[in-house]
Amino acid sequence: MQNGDRFEPEREGGTQVLEAINLKKTYGSHEALKGLNLTINAGDIYCLLGANGAGKTTTINLFLNFIDPSGGSAKVNGIDVTENPLETKKFLAYIPEQVMLYPNLTGLENIQYFARLGGHDEYGDQDLRGFLTRCGLQAEAADRRVSTYSKGMRQKVGVAIALAKQAKALLLDEPTSGLDPKASNEFSELLVQLQNEGAAILMATHDLFRAKETGTRIGIMREGNLMQEMTTAEVSHADVERIYLEHMH
Amino acid sequence: MIRFVARKELTELVRDGRFHWTGIILALLLITALATGWQRYASYQDLQSSAQATSNTQWLKQGDKNPHSAAHYGNYAFKPAGPLSYFDSGVEAYTGTAVFMEAHKQNFALARPASDLNAVARFGDLTGAFILQVLVPLIIIFLGFTAFSGERDSGTLRQLLSMGVRRRDILWGKAIGIGAGVALIVVPCLVLGALALSLAELNTSAGFMARMSVLVSTYGAYAAIFLFLTLAVSAWAKSGRHALIALVGFWAFTAFIAPKAVTEISKAVCPTPAYGEFMADMRTMQAKGFDGVSPWRRIQEMQAELYQEYGVNSVAELPVYWPATRMQKLEELDHDVFDYHYNNLRQAYTDQRRLQDSFGVIAPILSLRSVSMAMSGTDLITHIEFMNATESYRRNMVAKMNGYLSKAAASLNDSFSSSNYMTADEEVFAIVPPFEFDQPTVGQALGEHTRNFVILTIWLAFAVTASVAAVDRLSTEAR
Repeated sequence: MQNGDRFEPEREGGTQVLEAINLKKTYGSHEALKGLNLTINAGDIYCLLGANGAGKTTTINLFLNFIDPSGGSAKVNGIDVTENPLETKKFLAYIPEQVMLYPNLTGLENIQYFARLGGHDEYGDQDLRGFLTRCGLQAEAADRRVSTYSKGMRQKVGVAIALAKQAKALLLDEPTSGLDPKASNEFSELLVQLQNEGAAILMATHDLFRAKETGTRIGIMREGNLMQEMTTAEVSHADVERIYLEHMH
Repeated sequence: MIRFVARKELTELVRDGRFHWTGIILALLLITALATGWQRYASYQDLQSSAQATSNTQWLKQGDKNPHSAAHYGNYAFKPAGPLSYFDSGVEAYTGTAVFMEAHKQNFALARPASDLNAVARFGDLTGAFILQVLVPLIIIFLGFTAFSGERDSGTLRQLLSMGVRRRDILWGKAIGIGAGVALIVVPCLVLGALALSLAELNTSAGFMARMSVLVSTYGAYAAIFLFLTLAVSAWAKSGRHALIALVGFWAFTAFIAPKAVTEISKAVCPTPAYGEFMADMRTMQAKGFDGVSPWRRIQEMQAELYQEYGVNSVAELPVYWPATRMQKLEELDHDVFDYHYNNLRQAYTDQRRLQDSFGVIAPILSLRSVSMAMSGTDLITHIEFMNATESYRRNMVAKMNGYLSKAAASLNDSFSSSNYMTADEEVFAIVPPFEFDQPTVGQALGEHTRNFVILTIWLAFAVTASVAAVDRLSTEAR
């Protein structure tokens, strides 16, 4: 185990938002992540591809400090997440496969609560409604209890929470799986908006098509290793699929 | 931050069906308990004061007779209801409510309500105290066991922790939110009860408000213990189900198993004699004399002293009525014997209670129960104070009658005919003032309970520490 800080030279600019340096995670004898090195800049949509158990969710959990690394370090805005877990989380927004909200609260109350916890108690109701509608939630739905929401609606609230948090980095864990193609498309459009505002986005996904469409970079993981990285502008849909399948065999 | 969490927690709680049902049931029970408690208190107070008045009148109107015989005729003392006995009936059902005070004998209290009750009563009266001691913790558990486990089970915990909030802020917020939810049910009922009682001209003599404030803060601390324990277990447990099972198990242990078991243990460790044995021992000691010198020897000594004092050689010459003086001396010789036996017995009961209090370390209800009874004036200490008051009254009554007789009948010493009998009337009997009992002051009542306050404070500190520790190591995944 080594401290990544010591070996990493200062990088230029301020564009590296998410950084994994020789990041490792072992559970007993099982190595879930075997020394991941990853840099995601502001304006990047980095799509992590790979089968279940490849280490995608582990990577996200490590950035969120939900689990402690077994080696290496994860940094957000240059700050180590294990050393300053509360500070680094201020820059992060997390959208899981299923955005879980409080069913007895309305959409508006949910976003208000999470915005306040994220340190943004300055928003009025109108600001919060604005975030929700911007994310495609029907205006009337904001005052309904979340228990009546569909999955797509909850994912929209999840993005709205990320917007309200003014997060510099988004960690998305298969956020579109289970969404219908239209909802999935709307979701991707939202991501592009956030990207244009300078967010760094890390998205674990199984959707090769979306990865190529919306992503700026793609990383393919297998058994805790990052096998290959590519820039989407330089490859075709067919290339992505071919390279992915090569690594899966 | 804490206030946002608290507000959200309360909003969620108030919209939860669990809250409505438990709230309605608890409110109904609490109002019923206070109302029936009040009714019982009021009718008991009526009964007590009228019985006492009747007995006092009977004493005065017992008819002209010899003052010593009047002391045999005696009087009753009826125990006034404790200032908050409608809230906590304590040990009143078992200790007796009336004492017959007569010459030569120190009696136990009679009229134990428990002897008229059926087995159902053993489960405990439905009093305000029972509800706050037993049901409120259960409701705290029901409303709070999902506080962390539920968020983990449903997945909101990941969302919550990803926001960058201090975990302890979440803990304090949840504690305040759930606490406010419970208070929302309990406080209006108590306020309603207090208002109704204040309309009904309650005995709000000195110390009443002090007793109330001690009760409020002690019950508050007790509720906080359960609240933080619930939060600790909720954060610690694998799932909501596990949390609920563990918490309800602990609740059943503290509410039902521990009190029963501890009563048995305290009886075994500090045994008390059976009634017959106690009485027989006392009679033996009376006959032998407290210090082993027989009472008749003492009487002879006293007679010699009196002869010397007055410079006389025979009973006939004494300026005091000898039979009355002698009877008073015999009475006083018994005092040491009575004190010895009754004090030993009361010491055993007190030791039992202290031992039970100490078990508050494993079940906080035991310490709370003790404080609650003391503040309600229905505990053992109050009862002992009452018994002491009746004994002082009895001794004074007998001494007054014998004293009167020994002076008033001084001239009858030399006539041994049946005409030596002197009678007294109501005017003489009135030199014994009516029986009155002052409740122990709050200070006296509190004095015995330092141990319980220490135990409850330790529990609260433990519960808070445990919840902080559990939240600090709270994981988003089930362990």
